[in-house]
Amino acid sequence: MDSQKTGITSVKKVYNTTAKSLKENPALFVPFIIFAIFEFISLIIISLAPRMPLRLFFGPLIRTFWGERFLHYPLNFLLLPKLASLVRMGLTIIFGSLLTGMAVVIICDIYNKKPIKLGASFKSALKKYIYLFTVVFIFTLLFYILVKLVTIGLIKYFIAGHSRLLFLGAGVWMGPVLFVINFLLALLVQSAFIYAIPILIIEKEKLIKSIIKSFVLFKKLFIPTIILVGVPMLIYIPVLILQYNGSFLINRVFPEFVLFISILGIIIGSLVIDPIVTISTTVLYLMNKEK
Amino acid sequence: MSDNLENNMKRVFFTLILSCLFAVLAGCGNDQYAIEKQYWQAQKQAEKIFKNPHATPPRELERVVKLLNRFIEKHPKTNLALDAEFNIARLYIVKEEYDKARTQLRTILNKYAKSEAICSEAVFLIGNSYEIEDKWNLALEQYKKIMQVYPITLRGLDIPIYIAQHYKVKYQPDKMVSALEETIGHYRTLASRYPKSPLSLKAHTLVAECYIALKDWPNAISSFNTVIDNYKDKVKMDGILLDIAIIYNRELKDKVKTKETLEKLIKEYPKSQFVKTAQALLKELEKK
Repeated sequence: MDSQKTGITSVKKVYNTTAKSLKENPALFVPFIIFAIFEFISLIIISLAPRMPLRLFFGPLIRTFWGERFLHYPLNFLLLPKLASLVRMGLTIIFGSLLTGMAVVIICDIYNKKPIKLGASFKSALKKYIYLFTVVFIFTLLFYILVKLVTIGLIKYFIAGHSRLLFLGAGVWMGPVLFVINFLLALLVQSAFIYAIPILIIEKEKLIKSIIKSFVLFKKLFIPTIILVGVPMLIYIPVLILQYNGSFLINRVFPEFVLFISILGIIIGSLVIDPIVTISTTVLYLMNKEK
Repeated sequence: MSDNLENNMKRVFFTLILSCLFAVLAGCGNDQYAIEKQYWQAQKQAEKIFKNPHATPPRELERVVKLLNRFIEKHPKTNLALDAEFNIARLYIVKEEYDKARTQLRTILNKYAKSEAICSEAVFLIGNSYEIEDKWNLALEQYKKIMQVYPITLRGLDIPIYIAQHYKVKYQPDKMVSALEETIGHYRTLASRYPKSPLSLKAHTLVAECYIALKDWPNAISSFNTVIDNYKDKVKMDGILLDIAIIYNRELKDKVKTKETLEKLIKEYPKSQFVKTAQALLKELEKK
């Protein structure tokens, strides 16, 4: 009971510091804005993938992996959220890792009351790029594999002829339950790896050691970490629900609405959730380090 | 050093903005995708009429027909234009303006006279329009025309069974039987006209299905056996063997023949998707 109270008190303190840091240092947003720009440009490009001349490059890829029908209007919009999520994964590994590292350096400078130097922060992160890249790659790959395993497992279970699993039918499992499982997996995996980048950047630890230290810290700060990572992620749920009902939106509203939802997803994901999660968990890490 | 970084960043942003502009401009062309988008918008208007034809005012029908016609004029040589032509006819049918529908379908017949598949569909819709009007004889005339003029199209292959089904639905067993017998003759002629072709295989299979509809089990089995003898080397016959076993088991109550056929299926097609079903059937037979 006491540890829970301490956890919640520390979360309040962390959020106060996060809000203060963001208010007093808007430059903290720079890495996240850069990432959002990358994501936005990629989204525009993939939304135009079925059109010439982009079709020359994307056409064979989409045809091979998902089928010819997704190269035609309006079904291309059904595939858009999936493509956007894959592109986001790639961008997170390649650029997101570096920019998160940059953000952690800036937060550390703010916390230690040093002046913010964007160029220097970028360079500090760049020095550790290989490690940052690997951490984010492992984390993204692990999440992807876990999601695939659960999905394929459920599909195989129901294809084998079972009509129910724990009193629930295939429709419920493959719909809302799978959605919740994926959300929980994302929460757990992200929480377990969340301190690896601050440890890499601030403590200048080696790759494996920083991952192990992150797991240990996650176990120690379980409740505050889950709250700091999970609560902002809840904001994204409406976007996921809308994306999940793509065919409904295409038929009832208009196909391009799916693109607007994806743009909204970028704004919420990259400009709201990512800054809050990264800054708050780094602040918690720094506060815990002081103790 | 920081000036250098700033310059590099500016260069990166400039490239990104240029590529974004290029991508946006790419989306402005009048390519196949743009045509599909235009058609989808017209089709959406048509869907409203299909969903509720009786509540649609005539002016709305004419507006949508005009929209579709404009699309056809703009993109005359596309598949979507052909789809639009058929949709105009279907719109007239759901609005019970049968003469206009048939005029539209005759226009399609003239325009696409070289394509048998398209013509067979147009004639079929003309027949449908008569059928909806409860003018079966006129409809039958159109359906027979498909059998004679376009026999090797998909619609041409289906239409004899469609006619027999009509009699079945209308509770006219005598007419159904004679239609099926006529159908069998029609398919046999087709099979002999195009021997050893995929069409002949399809025709033979349809003959067997006609015998099944007639509940003439020995002839159904014999037709299936003809298919096996003629096409065994070209096509997998596991499905047909299972069909034969089911007829022996359910209709002729011949356990020995059922077992023989199922064992043949398992032996000749050990990797077939029907092996599990065959094994389950064999187990069931042993229990009895």
